[in-house]
Amino acid sequence: MSGIFEYNGGSIVGMKGKNCIAMACDRRFGQQMSTITTNYQKVFKIQDNILLALSGLNTDIHTFYALMEKEINLYNLKENRKMKPTTFANLVASALYERRFGPFFVTPIVAGLENGKPILATYDSIGCKSDLDDFQVGGTGGNYIYGACEAFFKPDMSPEELEEVIGQSLVSGCDRDALSGWGGVVYVLTEQKLTVKILKTKQT
Amino acid sequence: MFDFDPSTFGLAHTYQKEDKDEINTLKMPSAPQVIYRTLNGPTQTNGGNKLNNFKHGTTTLGFVFKEGILLAVDSRASMGSFLSSEQVRKVIEINEYLLGTMAGGAADCQYWLAYLANHCRTYELKNGSKLSVAAASKFLQGILIGYKNSGLSMGCMIAGSDLSGQHLYYIDNDGMRLKGDIFSVGSGSTYAYGVLDNHYRYEMSLNEAVELGIRAIYHATHRDTASGGVVRVYHIHQNGWTKVHDGIDVVDLHYQFAQQKGLVGDGDEAKQRLF
Repeated sequence: MSGIFEYNGGSIVGMKGKNCIAMACDRRFGQQMSTITTNYQKVFKIQDNILLALSGLNTDIHTFYALMEKEINLYNLKENRKMKPTTFANLVASALYERRFGPFFVTPIVAGLENGKPILATYDSIGCKSDLDDFQVGGTGGNYIYGACEAFFKPDMSPEELEEVIGQSLVSGCDRDALSGWGGVVYVLTEQKLTVKILKTKQT
Repeated sequence: MFDFDPSTFGLAHTYQKEDKDEINTLKMPSAPQVIYRTLNGPTQTNGGNKLNNFKHGTTTLGFVFKEGILLAVDSRASMGSFLSSEQVRKVIEINEYLLGTMAGGAADCQYWLAYLANHCRTYELKNGSKLSVAAASKFLQGILIGYKNSGLSMGCMIAGSDLSGQHLYYIDNDGMRLKGDIFSVGSGSTYAYGVLDNHYRYEMSLNEAVELGIRAIYHATHRDTASGGVVRVYHIHQNGWTKVHDGIDVVDLHYQFAQQKGLVGDGDEAKQRLF
């Protein structure tokens, strides 16, 4: 089990619905084959209408989140307005490329609502942005979650359906990955509110 | 008329080199021969870092107590970080009075424990009495020493009942054979030992022993990524072995034990959420 991206493990997934978006992540913080805690946060609220999910090396997850938090706070102060999700998506790409020759070992997913329209973007670790798909995955369990997503996903789902589908996809995917799991959290963002649900999953 | 040669029952044959012919007449494939020996030392697996060696990704344990021997195992098989199965049977039923546990290469354990089963039965027929646990484990050790350095991967426990009582042996691919009262084998063994060593007493009742075995395996499956699935429990007593539990899901055990420990929240109580 080599590779810096497999050291801590973890999986994330993001989906678009009808005027809503959902993000889900597992809760494991481990070191190779050993699990340290089961309540590690991997999805962050950057702004009321923007969520950032990160998978990869846990130290870089925390550092990159702190960096993005700083950027958005400074933007709010300087420009005296909220940042648009498409702008933030671009910012993430630039911030990753700034470290082109010493990258953050993370694969981020950005999700947000811009005037009610869902935005979803994913990146590799050096900032190649891809925002064309309706769902994206990241992390060691990503490929297994893809399978479940393809089976359950349909476009323009309601927030309740989306929550159900993303939860099931995350759990099924993590069940086949030894390095992800130990709980799951689902975030569903609509114009009105952000709901956070903690899933009861295999703790093994 | 016969599909074996009756002269093989003669004395001359029992003193000859090992039973390749007899085994073939009993229609069992003969043991693989290593054609050449490596001259460069032991075959390296994962640079020698045992903890990351997924071939030993499992948790199995066994201990001797007043009522006999208890064996408890998990049921997960992993290939790297991919979970290939959650329902593997890691206790191999050699015969009605001998059990073997599987850790390391599944193929190696399955084949050689079946080979051992064959040998035990042959011995029983020839000698009119059952092979002792000590002799059976020593026979397996002999085979594994012969294949030393050729890349076999096995960390098994042989547990059984014979005329002198119930005995537990640990055998591995390095040719080690240890008799003992408490063993745990596999990547999750460190976690299982913590629980096992804390609550083990020789005078435990059967129910207490089963509970301890289940708890130790559960804790290992929770912390170790290469262990999981279900817990299977076997009890060896003077009349052979009994399967106590065929498969208790460790997920259910987690929430059961969490309830007992008072951990019924969502895990975020002690920390400040970042938003």
